[in-house]
Amino acid sequence: MTAIPPSIARRSLLLDRFIVKFTGYLILSFATIASLYPVVMMVINSFKIRSEIFNNPAGFPRDWTLYNYNNIANFHSGLMQNFLNSVVISVTSSFIAVFLCSLGAYAFSKYQFKGRDLLFALLLGTMMIPSEILIPGQYIMFAKIGWLNTLRVQILPGAISVFGLFFIRQYMLSIPNEMIEAAWVDGAGHFTTFWNIMLPASAPALGAFAIMHFMGMWNNYLWPMMVATKKEFQPIVVVLPQLVDTQIGFVPEWGLIMAGAVLSTLPIIVIFLIFQDTFLKSVVIGAVKG
Amino acid sequence: MSMAISAKRVPKNDRSSNTRARWKSDQIAAILFVSPFILAFLVLFLGPAIYALVVSFFRYAGYGSMTWVGVYNYFATLQYRLFWIGLRNTIFYWIAHDIPMMVFAFGLALIVSNRYIQFKRFFKPMLYLPQLVTSVASALIFSSFFGLEYGVLNTILGTKIPWLQDVNYTRWAVVILLIWRGVGYWFIVYLAGLTSINPEIIEASIVDGANSWKRLIYVILPLMTSTLLFAFVVDAIGSLRLFTEPNVLMAQRGGLAPYEVAPVVNVLFSSMGAARFGQAAAVGWLLFLVTALISWLQFRIFRNINKE
Repeated sequence: MTAIPPSIARRSLLLDRFIVKFTGYLILSFATIASLYPVVMMVINSFKIRSEIFNNPAGFPRDWTLYNYNNIANFHSGLMQNFLNSVVISVTSSFIAVFLCSLGAYAFSKYQFKGRDLLFALLLGTMMIPSEILIPGQYIMFAKIGWLNTLRVQILPGAISVFGLFFIRQYMLSIPNEMIEAAWVDGAGHFTTFWNIMLPASAPALGAFAIMHFMGMWNNYLWPMMVATKKEFQPIVVVLPQLVDTQIGFVPEWGLIMAGAVLSTLPIIVIFLIFQDTFLKSVVIGAVKG
Repeated sequence: MSMAISAKRVPKNDRSSNTRARWKSDQIAAILFVSPFILAFLVLFLGPAIYALVVSFFRYAGYGSMTWVGVYNYFATLQYRLFWIGLRNTIFYWIAHDIPMMVFAFGLALIVSNRYIQFKRFFKPMLYLPQLVTSVASALIFSSFFGLEYGVLNTILGTKIPWLQDVNYTRWAVVILLIWRGVGYWFIVYLAGLTSINPEIIEASIVDGANSWKRLIYVILPLMTSTLLFAFVVDAIGSLRLFTEPNVLMAQRGGLAPYEVAPVVNVLFSSMGAARFGQAAAVGWLLFLVTALISWLQFRIFRNINKE
């Protein structure tokens, strides 16, 4: 760097700072509006009656109505059932995945057994394989044992995650062995040590992975669409697009659909509001998975 | 799960010296810990993957006998017009959304991470918000936006653009949706990368009199290369598996997107629907090859950039 007279450098820095602040806030405001607007419209339109959505698709409702939400709650859509399906599928699958992955991760991180490193490398190698490849095989397998149109066929295939194993193992490696040894001295066995010492100690990793896994399962569309053809077994995200088709006249019933969209989004927003920091951390680690 | 709790208990007195080595090398305990995962992996992952590879060399309708057809399924897929159209569409969606999305995401992360910008606790969740909306819900919102007569967009603009009727517009509707939903995700990833840069390095460049622009080009970007590479590869892999967004956006046309704008995974989906499992498996493995090829290319490109 050639020497710059201090006064000039200082002035240019002040200018720099002003430009950064001005354009920065300007761009951030636009970006916030762009990201917020569709979500706000989803909520607003879910409170409009049918006729108003045609006359006034972009503005605030003149008459706020709970008609669409009532519609969801009663028989017409059956959406509550599908919503509950989603909850059962995503929550169960997340619990199983966290449990299986942390059991395995404990062994891979803290035990020495024959073939450990080779086995782990082989598992990691399969992370490159996209899940779409598994679909024909899984489908035929589950069809053969008569599991199509159940909830468990939607829970199990997602319940295994090599990424989860990898991620939780990385975290467990950072937990000192002394903690385990202390438990042993206190007379704890293998499983007790795992359950009482290791799991609580790796809670941040388990939480981040659970959120990531839950998000993936909740958004899963292709697999449920294939294996759950009967409406009573479908998760909410599979049912919502079908509502577009059940149109009265020519235009879909957007009010009802937007209310369903709000319903399908609500649990994620709630989880986000409660666990914001873990949630955002799970984004960064989840990016590794792709 | 009462496994091995009491396995190989050592008498209490000679523990302290012995346990140190003992618990670690307990083979039975280790195998018991690993086996649930491995078992599930064999049944749910490896089994189906191998089966998909095998079945891709057969003609199989899900029942009856399997007929060996060699590489016919691959051959037929490669000659199938819709496969190529699907692949072209998928690659279009990937490239058209990837570049603007990454530019927006990186730019926003730069701004929010800047020392002069406040209210980070507000902007972070606001920009991440679209990710919280389920992908199906967001596609439905945009589907209502892009309506011809009563769409929000045409109402506001006072136009009559056939977003969802004319495939040439539909393509871009899909891209807009992908950008809208994707920016927040990569914004968070980039922000994490940028905030992990040692502030002393930034400090030093300011003392040297570098303005924001120079700092970006000569200091920040070189430090972010690996994060950027990783983001582009991961997004490419994700984009090639695209399925939900185009199909749900087009739900008004009844179920799946028309072939002119359908992603390549639709070919897998419809082969399954037609009980052509061999072909579905072949499409899956071809998709894997394309993914691997694109990841490899990106690694090479970035390595060359790094060398310069």
